[in-house]
Amino acid sequence: MNNKDLDIYVLIKQVPDTRSKAGVNPDGTIDRAKAGKMLNPFDAYALQAALNAKKMGGPNSKVTAVTMGPPPAIDILYQALEHGADNTLMLSDRRLAASDTLATSYALCQTLEYAFKQNGRPGDLIFCGLQTTDGDTAQVGPEISERLDFTQITYCEDFSISDNEVHAKKIIEGGTQLVKAQLPSLITIANSYQKLKFKTLRGAQFVQDIKRSSKEEQAKFVEIIDLDACHAEELRCGLAGSPTIVSKTWKIGVVGGNCKMHQGKSVPDLVGEVVQGLPILEEFVKI
Amino acid sequence: MAGEVMVVAEQVGSKVAPVTLELLGEGKKLALKLGQHLTCFVIGHNMQDAVQEVIKAGAQKVYLADHQELAEYKTLHYRRVIVDELGKWTTPPHTLLMGSTTTGRDLAPRVAAFFETGLTADTIELDIGPYEHTSGTDETKLGYFPECLYASRPSFGESLKARILGPWKDPQMATIRPGVFPKPEMLDSAPEVEVVNVACNFQGSDYRVEIKETIRELETKVDITAADVIVAGGYGLGSGEGIDLLKQLADCFENSVIGASRKIVDLSWIDYPHQVGQTGKTVRPKIYIACGISGALQHRVGMQKSDHIIAINKDPDAPIFSFADHGIVGDLYQVIPEMINQIKSKRNSENKELKNA
Ligand SMILES: Cc1cc2nc3c(=O)[nH]c(=O)nc-3n(C[C@H](O)[C@H](O)[C@H](O)COP(=O)(O)OP(=O)(O)OC[C@H]3O[C@@H](n4cnc5c(N)ncnc54)[C@H](O)[C@@H]3O)c2cc1C
Ligand SMILES: Cc1cc2nc3c(=O)[nH]c(=O)nc-3n(C[C@H](O)[C@H](O)[C@H](O)COP(=O)(O)OP(=O)(O)OC[C@H]3O[C@@H](n4cnc5c(N)ncnc54)[C@H](O)[C@@H]3O)c2cc1C
Repeated sequence: MNNKDLDIYVLIKQVPDTRSKAGVNPDGTIDRAKAGKMLNPFDAYALQAALNAKKMGGPNSKVTAVTMGPPPAIDILYQALEHGADNTLMLSDRRLAASDTLATSYALCQTLEYAFKQNGRPGDLIFCGLQTTDGDTAQVGPEISERLDFTQITYCEDFSISDNEVHAKKIIEGGTQLVKAQLPSLITIANSYQKLKFKTLRGAQFVQDIKRSSKEEQAKFVEIIDLDACHAEELRCGLAGSPTIVSKTWKIGVVGGNCKMHQGKSVPDLVGEVVQGLPILEEFVKI
Repeated sequence: MAGEVMVVAEQVGSKVAPVTLELLGEGKKLALKLGQHLTCFVIGHNMQDAVQEVIKAGAQKVYLADHQELAEYKTLHYRRVIVDELGKWTTPPHTLLMGSTTTGRDLAPRVAAFFETGLTADTIELDIGPYEHTSGTDETKLGYFPECLYASRPSFGESLKARILGPWKDPQMATIRPGVFPKPEMLDSAPEVEVVNVACNFQGSDYRVEIKETIRELETKVDITAADVIVAGGYGLGSGEGIDLLKQLADCFENSVIGASRKIVDLSWIDYPHQVGQTGKTVRPKIYIACGISGALQHRVGMQKSDHIIAINKDPDAPIFSFADHGIVGDLYQVIPEMINQIKSKRNSENKELKNA
């Protein structure tokens, strides 16, 4: 175990809640106005990874959760605090609307640079989720890593940190790989990593306390900044800063949604329905 | 004038990955529409055969970075040769394509961020077409663009398809899902085409990541892609012994094999060649019976085109039921033996009928 204090950042995003049926249209598309909001499920693994990484560093290591989003996204920052994050930072600005991944990575990068500056030193580790459940490109992490010139480990399933290095196990095409990367490093965490543990009592109490405290006190733990504060150029953000647009969408709801369910009967009946109801099975049965 | 259409080849053990050939086939169509060449960027070590292969698949010019440091994929080394080479060009490629594999998804965003250009993820359809930009805050973007890369991708759990485009900056980049485009017809012999040797000027900082070990099975003793019936198992089997039960069910069918989720391959319950999904095989059997598989997106992309999907899962809310054709809610240890029973007794009674007739 090494004793270097680690400055750890975890990037988390709020996404439409697809667990409950509310706001989910029958064809699987999402009605953003009606849908609830939640922490991107893939980012829960990244948060756990960040909290684990903290234990691998020195006693003054800390975890800062960072998000970019509209004001309600503050909820996921409180959630991160409840789970044991030390600090949070949010970039919120109307001019960010319709950012593609390149613009998102630029804005998040400016936000991280802002945090590095406040902190007096650049970060050691940035954790990202595998992808989000709404845009699901898995591009934001590597794009940030390029901008910051960090080493990068994608699809990470497990890791340890010692001597300014991270040793990681990652998913590759057709197998797994063990790699060693120098810090600072950006790591995207696979969904085969440990599940996020329950919130800590201390964290929950802490969040209750800050929610009750003054605005200035809150701002110490949940800092909200805009583009100007992090010196982001407006033309590199939002629609203007995005080299891509979504020009058209189609529903392809026919894939799925048509599953004939067999349940609530005796096993022989359930199986009978399928075996009888699917004549094609017979074509392949060995005689 | 628009630049070329370029495919960045992917290789494992100096062999060209199937997705690269698929991309060359589709890239050729785009190049024809643009009136441009199709080129291929080959990166690896001892790549002579690979170069022949991509030419046979349609590449009209090859950029080759051949170096021992490039034998295995490494983010920073691969990134270096691409950004150094393309960074020199006055006319960048119009279109730059990579596979949406774990490798392509690691590399493409770094290249896109370097060139500050757009990148469409996990594309399933490609085309060239016009676009008129009429609204927006940035006036410099307004205009009519006759030749944009159209890249369409599924989103929101495969329920929606979105066309992404970005004609403002070249290269227009996309990663493409393996297995969606057919392999092109290969020429019998490779015609003479120009092969440009690309300089490999690695810098100290490129060596910050080291591969300690690669665990990968290249051997393909079984080929699950040719089967008519696949009986696939997942973590719901509970233990490796469950594979026997799958075998018994598969034995009821002609031309059948066992498939698997990545989770049980990772647990060594079964070998990698059986894995179906994003980092395994893409299969399209007549019948796919998924037993104790939850239906994660990475599994789904490898089997959703099967003709008939039967899912057995004890959780009625398992995602697999949202795209299977028949869903049986129950314990696979009760359902599968019963299935074997019924199939056998049906067969026996039919055989009897045959005899009696
Ligand atoms: C249907 C649809 C398709 C799209 N396709 C594309 C496309 O092909 N190319 C493209 O460039 N853009 C695309 N976009 C836009 C893209 O969704 C947004 O740019 C989005 O802000 C970031 O991308 P993502 O959600 O895919 O994140 P991902 O790249 O999947 O996210 C990976 C990780 O980055 C971190 N992260 C991402 N966003 C944030 C955030 N706001 N705050 C904090 N951390 C974050 C998280 O750790 C997350 O787990 C698409 C949007 C839609 C609606
Ligand atoms: C980069 C990357 C690449 C990946 N590539 C692949 C890939 O190629 N292929 C792949 O499959 N996955 C892949 N994955 C992993 C994927 O995300 C899932 O984790 C995996 O598919 C889950 O496997 P599973 O369905 O067997 O297990 P689980 O998700 O754990 O599901 C087990 C299911 O079994 C059910 N069950 C339990 N007991 C019983 C019972 N007695 N009877 C009936 N049902 C029961 C449960 O209800 C559950 O739905 C990849 C992940 C990443 C990050």
